[in-house]
Amino acid sequence: MGATFVVTLREAFEAALVLGIVYTYLEKIGGRQHYRYVTWGGALGVVASIMIAVGVGFLSGPLLDLGPDVVATGVIFVAVAVLTWHGWWMQQHARAIKGEVQRRLDEAQATRRLWIVALIAFTAVFREGTETVLFLWGLLAQATDAAGGVASWSGVAGGAIGITVAVGLGWTIFHGGKRVSLQKFFSVTSLLLMFLSAGLFSAGIGKLQGFGLLPQGSIVWDTSPLLSERSFLGAFLSGLVGYRARPSGVEVAAYLTYLLLAAALLFGHRWSPVRAADRLDPA
Amino acid sequence: MRRLMAVLVSLGVAALMALLGVARAADTPREVPLTIEGNRFMPEEIAVKAGAPFVLIITNKDRGPEEFESRDLKIEKVIPAGKTVRLKIPSLKPGTYGFVGEYHEKTAKGRIVAE
Repeated sequence: MGATFVVTLREAFEAALVLGIVYTYLEKIGGRQHYRYVTWGGALGVVASIMIAVGVGFLSGPLLDLGPDVVATGVIFVAVAVLTWHGWWMQQHARAIKGEVQRRLDEAQATRRLWIVALIAFTAVFREGTETVLFLWGLLAQATDAAGGVASWSGVAGGAIGITVAVGLGWTIFHGGKRVSLQKFFSVTSLLLMFLSAGLFSAGIGKLQGFGLLPQGSIVWDTSPLLSERSFLGAFLSGLVGYRARPSGVEVAAYLTYLLLAAALLFGHRWSPVRAADRLDPA
Repeated sequence: MRRLMAVLVSLGVAALMALLGVARAADTPREVPLTIEGNRFMPEEIAVKAGAPFVLIITNKDRGPEEFESRDLKIEKVIPAGKTVRLKIPSLKPGTYGFVGEYHEKTAKGRIVAE
C-alpha cells in the first residue's frame, strides 16, 4: 500500500501544485469567473490521459514503440514553453498592479490569455496522466483477479490515497495562497514555477538522452542512498524543483541554463542588488 | 499568437518524429529479449557489449500494463498487457544500469551490465 501510495502521489503532485497555483492566480486577479478554463483544461487532460492509456493497448509495431515517447517528450517541452510564457506574463502584471491596491485585471487582456491558463492545466494533468491511469488500471486488474486478494486491494487503496493527498496539497496551496498578499504570491510562485520548469526542461533533455539523440555522458553526483527519488520527500522535491538523485552532466547543464535564461527573462529588467535581496526573502 | 504556437508545436513534434526515425534507421543493432511475467523481469541481468547500441524486445505476458523504467538510462516505457515493445538503447559506457518495473517496483527489478 505504501509503495502504490508514493507512486500516485509522485505522479499527481506536480499537476496538483500547478493547478493550485493557477486557480489561486485567477482568484487573485479577480478572475474567479474564469475558473472553468482551468477546470476544463484539467478535465481534458484527464480525458486525454484515459484515451491514450486505452489507446496504447490497441497500438502495435513502430507506433507503440515510438508514439507514446514522442507525445510524452512533446508535452514536456510544450509545458516548459507555456509555463515560461505564463511566468513572464505574471511578472508583467505584478509590475502593473504594483502600487494600485488589488486592482482588477483588465478584462479584455485577461480573456485573450485564458487559453494559456487552460493549456497549462491540460499539460500539467496530461504529462503524468497516462502513466497514472495505466498504473491504477494495472492495480485494478490485479485486484479483480481471483488470485489478487486483500493485498491487491490495499494497493488500490494506496494508489487512490496518493492521488487524494496530491489533490489535498494543491487545495492547501490554493487556500494558503489566498491569504498571502498579491505581490508576495507573484514573487513566490514565479520563483516556484521557474524551478519547476527548469526541472521539467532537464527531464525533457534527459528523455532525449534516453532516445540516444543526446550523449548519455556520466553521472555528476549520486545522492540516491541519501535521498532517493522514489521516497516521499525525494518525489516531492523532484516534482517541486526537479531534484535528481543521479543526474547526468547534460541534465545539470540544461537545468542551470534554463534557470539563467528564465531569471534573465523574468527578473532581468529590474535587476539590482537591493531588489535581489527583496526577492529572496519570501522564498 | 495561438496559430503561431500551434505551428511551433507541430513543427517540434514532426522534428522529433523525424529524428527518432533517423536514429532508428541508421543502424541495425543487436536484439535482446526481455520478458515480464508474474511482475518480474526475465532475465534479471542482461549482459551487453559496451559502446554498441542494442534493442530490447520487451514482452509483457502479464494481465496488467508495466512500465520499464531506468533512471540510469533516462528511459520510461509503458508495455501494455500482452504486448511487445522494441526499445532502442543507446550505446553504453561500461557499467551497471539498473531498471525497474515502475508499477511493481518491489518484484520487478533488473540490471543491464555493459562490458
